[in-house]
Amino acid sequence: MSSDFVTGLLTALTPFHLLCAFGGAALGTAVGVLPGIGPAMTVALLLPASYALEPAAGLILLAGIYYGAMYGGSTTSILFNVPGESATIVTAIEGHKMARHGRAGAALATAAIGSFVAGTIGTLLIALAGPAIARAALAMGPAEQFALIVLAFAMVTSVLGERPLLGVASLCLGLLIGLVGIDAQTGEARLTFGVAQLLDGIDVIVVAVAFFAVGESLFLAWTGIEQATPRASASSVRLTGDDWRRSVPAWLRGTLIGFPLGAVPAGGAELPTLISYGLERRLARGGREWENDGAGAIEGVAGPEAANNASAAGTLVPLLSLGIPTTATAAVLLAALQQYGLQPGPLLFQSEGVLVWALLGSLLVGNAMLLVLNLPLAGFWARLAAVPAPWLHAGIMVLATVGTWTLHRSSVDLVVLAALGAVAFVWRVLECPAVPVVIGVMLGPLAEQHLQRALTVADGNWSAIVGRPATALLLTMAALVVTGSLVMRWRARRG
Amino acid sequence: MRTLFLSLLLAHTLDAQPQGLTIVAPAAPGGGWDQLARTMARVLEGERIASAVQVENIPGAAGTVGLARFVSGRRGDPGALLVTGLVMVGGVVQNKSPVTLRETTPIARLVGEYEAIAVPASSPFRSLSDLIAELRRSPGSIAWGGGSAGGTDQILVDLLAQASGIDPARTNYVAFAGGGEARTALLGAQVQAGVSGLGEFAELARAGSVRILAVSSAARISGWDVPTLRESGIDVVLANWRGVVAPPGLTAVQRDRLESAVRTMQASPAWRAELERRGWDPLPLGGEAFGRFAESEMRRVQQLVARKQGGTTPVRTTRPSPLLIAGVLAVTLLLGLRGRTTRVARVRPAALAWIATGIGLNILLSEWLGFVAGAALLFGCTAFAFGERRRLRVLAVSLVFSVVVFVVFRGALSVALPTGRLWQVRAG
Repeated sequence: MSSDFVTGLLTALTPFHLLCAFGGAALGTAVGVLPGIGPAMTVALLLPASYALEPAAGLILLAGIYYGAMYGGSTTSILFNVPGESATIVTAIEGHKMARHGRAGAALATAAIGSFVAGTIGTLLIALAGPAIARAALAMGPAEQFALIVLAFAMVTSVLGERPLLGVASLCLGLLIGLVGIDAQTGEARLTFGVAQLLDGIDVIVVAVAFFAVGESLFLAWTGIEQATPRASASSVRLTGDDWRRSVPAWLRGTLIGFPLGAVPAGGAELPTLISYGLERRLARGGREWENDGAGAIEGVAGPEAANNASAAGTLVPLLSLGIPTTATAAVLLAALQQYGLQPGPLLFQSEGVLVWALLGSLLVGNAMLLVLNLPLAGFWARLAAVPAPWLHAGIMVLATVGTWTLHRSSVDLVVLAALGAVAFVWRVLECPAVPVVIGVMLGPLAEQHLQRALTVADGNWSAIVGRPATALLLTMAALVVTGSLVMRWRARRG
Repeated sequence: MRTLFLSLLLAHTLDAQPQGLTIVAPAAPGGGWDQLARTMARVLEGERIASAVQVENIPGAAGTVGLARFVSGRRGDPGALLVTGLVMVGGVVQNKSPVTLRETTPIARLVGEYEAIAVPASSPFRSLSDLIAELRRSPGSIAWGGGSAGGTDQILVDLLAQASGIDPARTNYVAFAGGGEARTALLGAQVQAGVSGLGEFAELARAGSVRILAVSSAARISGWDVPTLRESGIDVVLANWRGVVAPPGLTAVQRDRLESAVRTMQASPAWRAELERRGWDPLPLGGEAFGRFAESEMRRVQQLVARKQGGTTPVRTTRPSPLLIAGVLAVTLLLGLRGRTTRVARVRPAALAWIATGIGLNILLSEWLGFVAGAALLFGCTAFAFGERRRLRVLAVSLVFSVVVFVVFRGALSVALPTGRLWQVRAG
């Protein structure tokens, strides 16, 4: 096995293949930074470019595009607070705060290196133990996945902030927005007010863009703060010693969270990023820079970015060893692999050894190429964040509408964006936190779906859900996390 | 600058030429409908049956959003086709869509895939009869895993129950977000039986991880030693078919032209090669016959849903109440805000009004004047709101920015941003 892997890696290291990896990473980044175009769409749009090549070169180009697109999405999140896909919403929370305080370069750098570290570890894990991990992941049924979401909820209670009542109100607003659309289990429409375009629900991207970008721009225009205080323009790409000390453990923790959650299809890439964010914030025990108007904490970028890339590697586990795509991006990758005559499935590792190892090798090379390409670019991007406020916010507003429109090509989404933007503005004026709203939209529907599935499987029997060992463990952990933070809050108030 | 803008205007006009064909895929890029639309476009152009074939994606609500927009916006347009299929038939009934396939002009059924019923390798059920016997004994004990609620997979489970004399409302169907998740659950034996397209189970069945008990075709499928539902005593045939329809209000000549173009495409070697490559089964059925077939499928699904909704089985799932959540929201918000005053010292409502105007103009005008005009207005208003007062510069930067975004999206990526209806009306 190891010799096959070395052969695969060597295949990916020939000059032409390196060029393919570089070209792919550049293309993927260029398209991925555009708002509203996530990795799945980038790969789908650029797929024809790889048809002209022989299989190994095509796979390598594709790997470059894939990683490039994922990283490109983080760039827009950090610089403009306009996340292009759900997996980079969490990155925007701390990343954009850092950018506003002149630390865009550091945020981009920790995102790039974190993605590289997580992607490399993830790819090596697939190579070493792919099929075994896939088998273990199958034990996670709907009941376990529901318990996992409950744990995620418990983890992110830390974002409710120092005024928990307003945090709960925000979370409820998010849950309410998340209810809009067809109930996945029964097919019934809820809160759609007869608008057909609302049947599929309100995309979490639209909510994130409304609360992070539109509402914020409206608020800043209203107060005039932005004109009075010019943005910090000094932006070094170099990570300081302190940045490294805080980033490295966050990268590793993010990888540990992301990879297994990617292998278990329990709700896309946003779940691991959210859990990683909750964990980092908990470990940091508060601190000014995590607050709403703080300077942004680098762990909050490093952890989720690593978790995102590791979970992307994790989704390759069921894809390659079972032939099952569990995300939109994986489905597009599957189509691409089939174009090259690779049929992912239980027999893949035996029947197509050489090409599989070439694919894993090219993932490693594409990942490294991304670092080579994007570390120098980080400085360029960071300068972009320092353009004068009028141009910056005008650009943000246009990118927000383009990103929203590209999702479903419907002007109904633009009306929803405007309405939610108005709500977000009011929310900001009332000094209610925005992050719990977005988290409610992300986790609410997931929790409901998994619970309904689990209940259906168990034929309505609650004890069958709580009684499963893994479920009981996860639910106990959730209870401990919540009581732990209540006790700490109580102690802090006493002491 | 001016020439650039003029050439863009020209591009709008050229886009609106009546020649050419637009195939509407009522789903996002990547899915089955989108792949069919893009494959058709490639073959129609490659075989020179039609020129300038474009694919337009209008995703949403099992295709019913695309259907509604196709019927209202393309009425009488001889250069448009809509991809449709069984899933849309289900969506129309499930979502109580006011627009149905009856309002379109049927052109042809093209491809399809038969469904398969599978169990994990470790399952005690060796044949469909075993499974049905257990289902009859206790309908709730069999959890069926499949795709979204009301889709092909659930339709098959309901038909199966109905044919076995069991109330479809009592079946235990678990809707997964996609075939992938459903198969994972089946492999992990989280559900007792799985329903999906035969192709989705093919690799797993060959590897011995799942056992296919029956297929939903009328006759056995070559290459598979699997009985049909009929052989197992269940009189049900179901294909997840896909086809194309044209807008309402076409003349007989226009309809014939579309039908013959699609027929020519189906007869071409390039089409057959594409079907082979993608593993799609040809299910050709043209014009009137396809219309009658679609009608019977609609009636079949309608009856099924009507029967289920008329049932008396209590809803098992616990569902969150919107009112409860809204109540908690109101109470926590009021308690949290009690006794607090906002600290903003100096506010500028005028700035807010400028941005609101920009957003409003953008939504209202993008559709009519095109993306460039709409985005430039939004950009200009926002820059003005943030204190930029050099008007000429605002105008120039707004236009350049919008044009660049437009060119990148539409030119380099062929992601269609709105071009503006006004220019199309003029050109037409």
